[in-house]
Amino acid sequence: MKITGYRLEKYIYKIDRGLADANNPSGEDLSIGSLLFLETDEGVTGIAPAGNEKVQDLFKIIEGQDPRSVVWLWKKMDDFVFKGGNQGEAAAAISAIDVALWDLKAKINQEPLWQTLGARHGRTKAYASDIGYCMKDEDIYNFYSKMADNGVDAGKLKIGLSMEDDLRRIGIMKEALSKVRERPFLMVDVNEYWSPKNSIKLMNEIEKHYDIFWIEEPARRWDYRGLRKVSKSVKAAVATGENLNGISDVTSLITNYSVDIINIGVRQLGITGARQCANMAHAYELPVSMMNCQANYMAHLAAAIPNHVMMEVFGTPDREHVFKSWDNEIQDGFIVMGNSSGLGLEIDYDALRDLQNTDYGRIPNNSAPRRQGAGLEIKPLDENEVDWL
Amino acid sequence: MKVTGLRITTYEHLMSRRMGDANSPSGRDMASTCIVEITTDEDLVGVAIGGGGAIPQIKSMFESLILGEDPRHVKGLWQRMIDRAFKAGNSGIITDAISVIDIALWDLKAKINQEPLWQTLGGSNIPVNSYASGMDMPQSNESVENWYKKMATKWGFTAGKLKVGLDQSADLERIGLMKSGLLNSTKNPILYIDANEYWSSKQAIRKVQEMEERFQIGWIEEPCRRWDYLGLKRVSDSIISPVCAGENLDSLDNFLPYFDHESADVIQVSAAMSGITGALQIADCAYGLELPVTLGGSFGNFHAQLAVCMPNFLTMEIQSVEPTDNVIATDIKIQNGKAVLGNQPGNGISINHDELEKISKSNPSTHRSLPSPFGRRPGAGLWEYLPTDEEKKAANRPLGTEIYVPPYGDV
Repeated sequence: MKITGYRLEKYIYKIDRGLADANNPSGEDLSIGSLLFLETDEGVTGIAPAGNEKVQDLFKIIEGQDPRSVVWLWKKMDDFVFKGGNQGEAAAAISAIDVALWDLKAKINQEPLWQTLGARHGRTKAYASDIGYCMKDEDIYNFYSKMADNGVDAGKLKIGLSMEDDLRRIGIMKEALSKVRERPFLMVDVNEYWSPKNSIKLMNEIEKHYDIFWIEEPARRWDYRGLRKVSKSVKAAVATGENLNGISDVTSLITNYSVDIINIGVRQLGITGARQCANMAHAYELPVSMMNCQANYMAHLAAAIPNHVMMEVFGTPDREHVFKSWDNEIQDGFIVMGNSSGLGLEIDYDALRDLQNTDYGRIPNNSAPRRQGAGLEIKPLDENEVDWL
Repeated sequence: MKVTGLRITTYEHLMSRRMGDANSPSGRDMASTCIVEITTDEDLVGVAIGGGGAIPQIKSMFESLILGEDPRHVKGLWQRMIDRAFKAGNSGIITDAISVIDIALWDLKAKINQEPLWQTLGGSNIPVNSYASGMDMPQSNESVENWYKKMATKWGFTAGKLKVGLDQSADLERIGLMKSGLLNSTKNPILYIDANEYWSSKQAIRKVQEMEERFQIGWIEEPCRRWDYLGLKRVSDSIISPVCAGENLDSLDNFLPYFDHESADVIQVSAAMSGITGALQIADCAYGLELPVTLGGSFGNFHAQLAVCMPNFLTMEIQSVEPTDNVIATDIKIQNGKAVLGNQPGNGISINHDELEKISKSNPSTHRSLPSPFGRRPGAGLWEYLPTDEEKKAANRPLGTEIYVPPYGDV
């Protein structure tokens, strides 16, 4: 079997509320979506819900190659970009190709990807994540309550700009999840908004009220000393890694004892790279947690990682406009996958065309700048930013 | 697809040359082999070789955790076995059992897909960098030179590994002989040496520094004890050559002290210790730390299947170009000093059951064929105890005659 061609489809989609964190509390309800299709000489097509223009350069590496050699092809792509840098857009393009190749590999075997990757069950534990700084208290309650109805007993809240509000909202999340478990797993995420000392001060305050499972990105992703300092000074585990580009970035965090739980995600790592990071973390007895993605397809890899703790779920089906089906659902707090081949994603081409022809009157602001005061002194929330204030 | 049965067959056979290291300068000429076959409800059979010392553990793991399972779920099953062994400890004999089952399951997974294992693992069929490993402590100087010459001229090897450790003057001379043998295929042979934990760290520093005055050494393998991460680090800090270690470690967790203390420059992985699942985990971690990975020798050289999906793979050991008995066949060939992968579904190993039936034995592990009949040799880690006259004499006996095992602790 040979790879013969590719097609990259981009589109913009809208969800029913903004995605918001400490850097952009007002949120953004538009997102850019991508679909990468890898075609083969035997009619099987690999799909990745990812991709950018860099795919064009990288395609010459994989053209004519057998998609089953995906690990080998990943290395070839990584080596190809090594001078220009295997970071940023290049890493994202390699990741997209990697995911489509794994999808192909599993489809060739006519099995779900979790089985190709050797997992015993197509299931992995889930946690709910609001990504909803802009949400009102009652919306927060409803979101976690709905997840709790599916047995989810863990939640992560975006915080960082106001201690009084953060404490109240953590309590709301806890209350909603308490119907599943008396002491639900509570996580908080500040998206690098705090300095290390801010994190220590504020987390110690939060920990007077709540038992926090992890604090995510309490310092900048590369600040291995700051992260280590936070880890030593708070009870909660320090989680970070979702914005790192590969095992090379993760290494310094691990060897400097800067991280207690490693967030791995498909965007920059793909499946091959995420698995490498997980294996390295395993050697150091560190758990990993899979970042959210459209249609939860990275649950396939999470299910095959021995040290995977739980995967972020944002709330399917809010972002799945272009998929007819995705063959997984949340049951009893776990993402449970079916037996469809590959990633189990079926594309709704009509929906894709409709989205591509929709004019929203603006383009998504997906890369909000770091909010003023980040790492320095918290800039209080302003009434124009959120309507719950 | 479900796993339905387990078949374990053992036999003993004469090797094609006498093999030994610093712990066994008189060498041995017999090998015992354990063939593990996992059968399924669809006629496919998964094959692995190894685990001869762990037969009760293989049976118990198999019966309680593997029987009735889908072999395609091999990584989940590996974790099940590791977790089962956790209290008693997933080291030593139990790891041999887990590994051999893991290898047979991966073989099945590839056979179900009707593809070679390298493809199942996502690798490619590029030729795999390899080196010739003589296991040659009992061999005469002349045999050493001739063997590497043959490996260079007939098979194209440009790298070799010599057993060293007991007699520094002899070692220096023999490294030169290995080099002159390999010069038949290249101007710049790569010269690896292996002390099999016979030295202390300071002995290693003294000896390797002297060797480095005369030769460029590719690596020094196991210069001191495997768990002595401080000693290994000290050796690495004090010599030019890389320190290679790990072949006797059992699993990923055993490597943590090496990784965290920079004790080894080349990470040696053996699937017989950690299975394929464990070996790939170790390789990924080594990649994160920018450490090259090398694979220890294997039956039928099936390790080549893993090499092509390890991102930091350096080279692999070849002790025999072809299997040395009539039972095992491999579709991995040696060409131009590299291992060339074939397209046979599974791990490339096939078993001739007619031949196997003829020579199978219920208890083959006589003192002549145990992997390490000699134990650790006297003087190890203390001082260089030269081979005795009895050991030298025994090393020169023809194949198939009685071996000589020196009395333990008698120095």
